[in-house]
Amino acid sequence: MEIYVLVKQVPDPEAIVKVKSDSELEIENKYFTNFFDEIAIEAGLKLREKFGGKVTVLTVDNKKVDALRRGIAMGADDAIQITDPALEGSDQFAIAKALATYLNLKDKPFDLIFAGRQAMDDDAGMVGPAVAELLGIPYVNVITGLEVDDPKKEVKVIREVDGGKEILSCSLPALFTCQKGLNNPRIPQVMNVMKAMKAQIKKVDLAALGLNAEEVGGKAAKIKVQKYLPPPKRPPVKMIKEDFPENVKTLVKLLREEAKII
Amino acid sequence: MALDFNFTEEQEFFRQMVRDAVNRLIMPKVKELDEKEEFPWDLWKEFAALGYLGLRHDEKYGGMGTDTITQMIFYEELARGSCGFSMSATMQILMGTYFIARFGNENIKQKILVPAIKGEKIGTICFTEDQSGSDLAGTRTLATKVDGGWKINGRKQWITNGPIADFATVMATIDPKLGLKGLNFYLVERKTENRDGFVSGQRLHKLGSRCSVTGELVMDNAFIPDENFLGEEIGKGVQYAGEILNEVRVMTGMNALSIAKEAMEDARQYANNRIAFGNPISRYQLIREKFAKFWAWYEASRTYLYKCAWMIQNNIPCIHDCMLAKYHSTEMCMYAVEEVMRIYGGNAFCSEYPPQRFWRDAKFLLYGGGTHEVLCDYLGRIYCKE
Repeated sequence: MEIYVLVKQVPDPEAIVKVKSDSELEIENKYFTNFFDEIAIEAGLKLREKFGGKVTVLTVDNKKVDALRRGIAMGADDAIQITDPALEGSDQFAIAKALATYLNLKDKPFDLIFAGRQAMDDDAGMVGPAVAELLGIPYVNVITGLEVDDPKKEVKVIREVDGGKEILSCSLPALFTCQKGLNNPRIPQVMNVMKAMKAQIKKVDLAALGLNAEEVGGKAAKIKVQKYLPPPKRPPVKMIKEDFPENVKTLVKLLREEAKII
Repeated sequence: MALDFNFTEEQEFFRQMVRDAVNRLIMPKVKELDEKEEFPWDLWKEFAALGYLGLRHDEKYGGMGTDTITQMIFYEELARGSCGFSMSATMQILMGTYFIARFGNENIKQKILVPAIKGEKIGTICFTEDQSGSDLAGTRTLATKVDGGWKINGRKQWITNGPIADFATVMATIDPKLGLKGLNFYLVERKTENRDGFVSGQRLHKLGSRCSVTGELVMDNAFIPDENFLGEEIGKGVQYAGEILNEVRVMTGMNALSIAKEAMEDARQYANNRIAFGNPISRYQLIREKFAKFWAWYEASRTYLYKCAWMIQNNIPCIHDCMLAKYHSTEMCMYAVEEVMRIYGGNAFCSEYPPQRFWRDAKFLLYGGGTHEVLCDYLGRIYCKE
């Protein structure tokens, strides 16, 4: 079973992020593998353990390859970095185009593609579905359960919906984005960590993909950031100094008329 | 370019992996580990399965054979979690297995080192006695040569992992009158029906570092075979101890560094959120000064400790540097945990808040690798060229 996992390095949740200008963020140099992508890697590894085959982690990033190294540390067989100066400023569609183009190369047959439900930095959740659309394969988002019938090339997945669970099935090849609850990503063993530290990451540029610089990058972006705004500061705490039960009445009034949350 | 203070991309990745493992396995249990005061067997098994216990040992025996800087990165990250767990793990990785890996024959390595790396056998090292610790010349545990081996008699105190240890590297003297020149290391296993060895004495209940169990080991005419003598020749025990102590001191310094950092990070959040007189207390100058002083001393400590790791790795003599770095880092840690107790105000005095745990854990680091009084006396003597 040939499995690909799309991964991204995102700012660590502990990293300090500030709005530098209208179009630029200042992010502390602390990065981490997107947690939902770890779930996706784990899903791939579990299927390989059951059916055999190969798990390849794949990213589009000109600088950071730690998400790929984490994939190898967890047990992935191969890691590919799509990198090219022309990719700078790409939006989610351009990233998806680069990934789909790589996966469409005739020497890259695949059975399954996994991705995280969304990246924890932009929270867009678009790359996975866009890759599936470009490849013309079925996809299901935000799965929390997965059963693969390899001989029949069929998959049954579960996802949570309002008030219950939805069970869907589709044929392979297919793409799924993974949600918390699908599995518990393994903690890498030190043996694999050392292997990942030394691993040679294979690099692929736009020329190898047969893409032009105009098709990706900032100029081709369909989505443009207009302005970054810092979150509003927490308003000061308002103390209600009346005695019971007047204080409760005042609190309810304030919650309804001022905070407008009830 | 002669000076380069950067970690490599690979080292940074390794740090991130260890940090992540500590965050997932240890951090959620830190309070419970301290309160229960028991050795956490389940956590030990989970941790051992990741392979880190073999960090500094030969790949032939299931280890990773990493360099000193990588090991120190590991110690620094591990100590962010539970100080007690860190003490037990570092005892196993470094002191408890060092002389077995260095001097043990193939039989001993297969019998002791291989299961120790898997976490299946627990190891320790024994220096301290009722009248000796930093003063090794006062060692009274006696090793007597007999046919085919040695008889060991004595009582060792303050032994980390002692109550649960399967094997111990024991410092003993062939004659107390010889002082430092009579000291050697011997491998002693726990006594069973079929084998002579040590038995556990009293278990100690400690102020901090509480999930690392500590107690006495007693050897009463315990016979050990010749192959359990750990060394190349008799009388070199002190020299060997000096050689391991460089690593032990830098490792202890790394523990201090991490406790201090965790305590101050915690205090930073508290100070930014705790409102007094209408402002977060981090806006008051006397509070800010505590963070500024810590920051300066922390950065100096960290740089010096990694310099020592680099010197050990490159076989540059650094016994005094390792003493100085351990001393500086641990005193910096004492300052940090004390000030965090003040930043938290009265809240620091109850177990619902973490400062008291940082404060109690930190005190444990004052004694390992030589008390600061002994270290300072020695270093002062060296500095004055007496």
